[in-house]
Amino acid sequence: MTAPDAQVDSALRDRVVEAMTTVLKRLVEREEPITEDMHMADELGVSSSLGLELLLEVEEQLGIQIDVERMRPDELLTVGELATFIAGHSRPW
Amino acid sequence: MTALDAVSVYTPAFRVPIEDLADPLDLTDIQVRLFRRFHGLDQVRFAPDRSPAELLRAAVEGLAGLRGQEHRVRYVVHGRAMPVVVPYPHNPLHDVCRQLGLGHALAFTVTQQSCASGLLAVELAGRLLAGDPHEDALALVLTGEKAFTRHARLIPGTSLFGEGASACLVSADGPRDRMLSFVCAQRGEFDGEYGDREEEFQRQYRPSLAEVINRAVADAGLALDDIRLVLPHNVNVVTWQRLCSLMDFPVQRVLLSNVPDNGHLFCTDAFANYRTARERDLLREGDHYLVATVGAGAGATFSAMVFQH
Repeated sequence: MTAPDAQVDSALRDRVVEAMTTVLKRLVEREEPITEDMHMADELGVSSSLGLELLLEVEEQLGIQIDVERMRPDELLTVGELATFIAGHSRPW
Repeated sequence: MTALDAVSVYTPAFRVPIEDLADPLDLTDIQVRLFRRFHGLDQVRFAPDRSPAELLRAAVEGLAGLRGQEHRVRYVVHGRAMPVVVPYPHNPLHDVCRQLGLGHALAFTVTQQSCASGLLAVELAGRLLAGDPHEDALALVLTGEKAFTRHARLIPGTSLFGEGASACLVSADGPRDRMLSFVCAQRGEFDGEYGDREEEFQRQYRPSLAEVINRAVADAGLALDDIRLVLPHNVNVVTWQRLCSLMDFPVQRVLLSNVPDNGHLFCTDAFANYRTARERDLLREGDHYLVATVGAGAGATFSAMVFQH
C-alpha cells in the first residue's frame, strides 16, 4: 500500500477533502455532491492529466506542496484515498 | 554485437521559457503552471535560424570520429518522429549526405515509430551492418527535426517539444557502448486518429513502458538493479517519477536533468542524455545502462534498449 508509515493530520485531511470536492465539481462539471468513496476515474471521469490539475489547485488553495514522487496513482483510486495521501505527504510552502 | 562508436549532439543555445510559449501555443495559465510544477519543464530549445538539414549537419560536424572514415559508412539512417518535414521533392537527409561526403551510402528515414524511431534506427543500423560483407562497415544514425507547428510543439497536458539533433556512429562489433538487448512493443490499438484512445493510452502508458523495460533487462541477462543509469525520453518528470514508483526503481538513477533544460527533443533525447551522462562521468567502464522511449501518434511504440558501456 502507499506509504503506510504516513502520519495523517485529520484537520488537514478535512481541509483537503473540502478543497478536492470543490475543485473536482468544477473540473468534471458536476452539480451533485462528491463523496469520499467515489472512484475518481470510473465515477467522476478524472483522467491522469485532470488529476494533476486537481493536485495543483489543491496545492495552491491550501498552500502546500504534495510529495508526488511517492504517489502511486494506481493505488489511490477514490477521493478519500487521495485525500489521505495528500494529508500524509505534503508540507507547507 | 552492435555498438555505438561515437555520439555527437547539437542542442541550440537559444531557449524559450515555457511561459513565453503560452501565447503561440494557445496554452492557458493553468496548463503552463502544470508543465512547470509537475512536468518539470522550464525552457525549451529552438534553432530558429537552422533548416532541418542544417540541424542534422550541426550534429554530424561534432562527430570527430567520422572524419577520414566517411568511405566506411555504408548506411545513413535518420530516425524521425514526423513523417513529413519539408516540401516535396526536397530531401534534407540526402542533402546532408552529399555535403558530408556520404553520397555513396544507402540513406533512408524511419518515422514509423514516432519518437521511438531513433532507437529503431540504431537497431536497424546494427542489423544492416551484421549482414554487410565489409567487416569495417559503419552506419551513421541521425536524429533531429524542426518543431514547426503547434501540433509538433505540444502534446496537451503532457509535454513540449523543442529542437535538437544527434549523430551516432554505429559499428557491428565495436568495443564500447555495446547493445545487449532491444525490446519494442508496437501498439496499433492506440491509434489516436479518431481521438478516442487517449484515456486508455494514458492508463496503459506506464505499465506498458515498464513491461518493455523489464523485458529488455531480462533479455540482457540482467536484473533491474544492475542498471546503473536510465537515459529516458524527456516527455516529462512526473511520468518518470511514477514509472519508477511502479517499478520500484530509484528515480535518482534516471537522468532527468535535461527535461527542464531542453524540453522533449523528439528522437534526440536518448542521445542528448547519453552525452550528458558522459560529460558528467556518470557511466564507468562495464556499467549497464538502459535507454527507454515511447513514440505516440498513429498507434504507440514502447521501446527499451540495454547497453554496456
